[in-house]
Amino acid sequence: MKKLLLFVIVLGAAAALAGWFLSAPTRLDENTVANLGPGDPVNGELVFWASGCSSCHAAPEAKGDDKLKLGGGLRLETPFGVFVAPNVSQDPNDGIGNWSVADLANAMTHGTSPDGQNYYPAFPYASYARMDLADINDLFSFMKTLPAVGGDAGPNELAFPFNIRRGVGLWKRMFLDPAPVVAAPVGGEDVDPAIWERGRYLVEGPGHCGECHTPRDFVGGLILSDWLGGAPAATGEGRVPNITPVSGGFGSWSASDIAYYLESGFTPDYDSVGGEMVPVQENMARLQASDREAIGVYLKAIPAVSGAAQ
Amino acid sequence: MRTISKCISIVSIAIAASLGAAQADDDPIGDRQAIMSSVGAAAGLGGGLMKGEIAYSPAAGKAAIAAMRAASLTFGDYFPDGSNASDTEAAPAIWDNRAGFDAEIAKFAAATGTAMEAAGRAGPADLDAFKAAMGPVFGTCKSCHEGFRVKN
Ligand code: HEC
Ligand code: HEC
Ligand code: HEC
Repeated sequence: MKKLLLFVIVLGAAAALAGWFLSAPTRLDENTVANLGPGDPVNGELVFWASGCSSCHAAPEAKGDDKLKLGGGLRLETPFGVFVAPNVSQDPNDGIGNWSVADLANAMTHGTSPDGQNYYPAFPYASYARMDLADINDLFSFMKTLPAVGGDAGPNELAFPFNIRRGVGLWKRMFLDPAPVVAAPVGGEDVDPAIWERGRYLVEGPGHCGECHTPRDFVGGLILSDWLGGAPAATGEGRVPNITPVSGGFGSWSASDIAYYLESGFTPDYDSVGGEMVPVQENMARLQASDREAIGVYLKAIPAVSGAAQ
Repeated sequence: MRTISKCISIVSIAIAASLGAAQADDDPIGDRQAIMSSVGAAAGLGGGLMKGEIAYSPAAGKAAIAAMRAASLTFGDYFPDGSNASDTEAAPAIWDNRAGFDAEIAKFAAATGTAMEAAGRAGPADLDAFKAAMGPVFGTCKSCHEGFRVKN
């Protein structure tokens, strides 16, 4: 009896220890970041809009230049509690004015803070993990040109056990994977692979389209078999539409219809963009036309998700 | 041909929409959706003109603007309490934040009013004049859809 108990205790301790190691925050290799050189703020601005940082870190409903004031404060209501987007302006105390490019790259690709804590995936680093370090380097140099905004946005409001950051490490083990979601173009033989891959990069990486358009499982991980197949809106009202090439649905949009929607906000039947897609569309409108076309080409050549996800 | 049939359908929808306001209202959801669908059709005509897919004529430009005008004056009347129950994409925010919704209606009406004035009797003389008149109307769609319309 005693032996059994001991066995259980040892096993429990081993599991806890394993859990502790498995949940340890990870980081980029230091040499990789050291060799980046100075970034290009002009490309960095395009990366900034493609990644939608301002949708969460600028004041809610900010327009024009106010989108560049990254004082934080947006409240993201989720089943796990409320996440508050922090101040990521250049303020050295309240924001990230003292950060190095390595700090930003670790946050965006590993979800790890400068002092070694795990970030919650409400910060969409599971998508940003697919970004090129050169783009993050350029983004960093652009963010350096943005204003410092004082003030702390306040803490997250999460219930136990979601308030334990360490536990996020296990989530990262399960869901943080920089590999592409769709390995190769599906269906169309006449797809230009270079354009399709550019579209894939923008959608799966900086654009983090999957974070809203893909359904999640009970621990908040994306269900990749239903990639971009539509999901209940996180805001609790309505649905985020299926944007895979399903017949009788989004499949009727051509690649240039998709590009035109991202540019103008109008669907092929001249309905207007709405809801949480408005800031995304306005950001996409700032990219080069070839990038919007590439997104259209990618969305036309991915697996069609029908049925349950809708 | 495409231009003409599209214009005629738009004008008739616009008339239907403005008549609707005077009638008894037993299907506010259906009525407002019909009005918005005339807005979508007018936007389609306007967008087609702007993109050069449909040859520009002042009459076509005027038809698009007039349909928008009629819709902007009537649409707000079709959101009585309780009309958020079934088969609608109207967001609950319309009833939770009526003042905010009314402000969007007012913006829509102001933009169409200015466009009507710019259009004059004959319609905007050329495509540039049309773009200048219609542009601000197009700008009001997403600001209302952002907060007050959901996709199901
Ligand atoms: C969907 C909303 C969202 C988007 C988009 C977003 N973030 Fe965040 N970000 C968050 C949240 C929420 C947190 C806090 C996570 C936590 O508490 O662990 C965060 C945290 C951060 C942090 C850590 C700040 C600190 O003080 O430790 C940085 C840096 C950051 N984000 C930068 C960015 C950049 C750069 C972009 C664009 C490339 C971006 N974020 C896009 C929501 C977002
Ligand atoms: C913050 C959540 C969010 C993100 C991120 C997001 N979307 Fe959307 N998207 C939506 C919502 C909500 C709608 C429905 C819009 C409406 O109500 O009109 C939508 C609609 C769309 C539509 C129109 C589909 C239709 O049938 O009307 C397309 C196309 C689209 N998104 C593409 C994208 C692409 C490409 C990206 C990445 C660059 C992206 N979305 C990122 C939330 C999001
Ligand atoms: C004042 C708010 C408001 C403005 C301005 C507005 N819309 Fe809408 N729109 C709505 C609402 C609310 C619905 C959903 C109605 C429902 O389902 O009950 C809607 C629905 C639609 C629909 C779907 C209609 C259907 O068939 O059910 C289209 C198309 C549309 N809008 C296009 C536009 C365009 C184009 C513009 C700009 C020219 C525009 N809307 C301006 C509020 C607005």
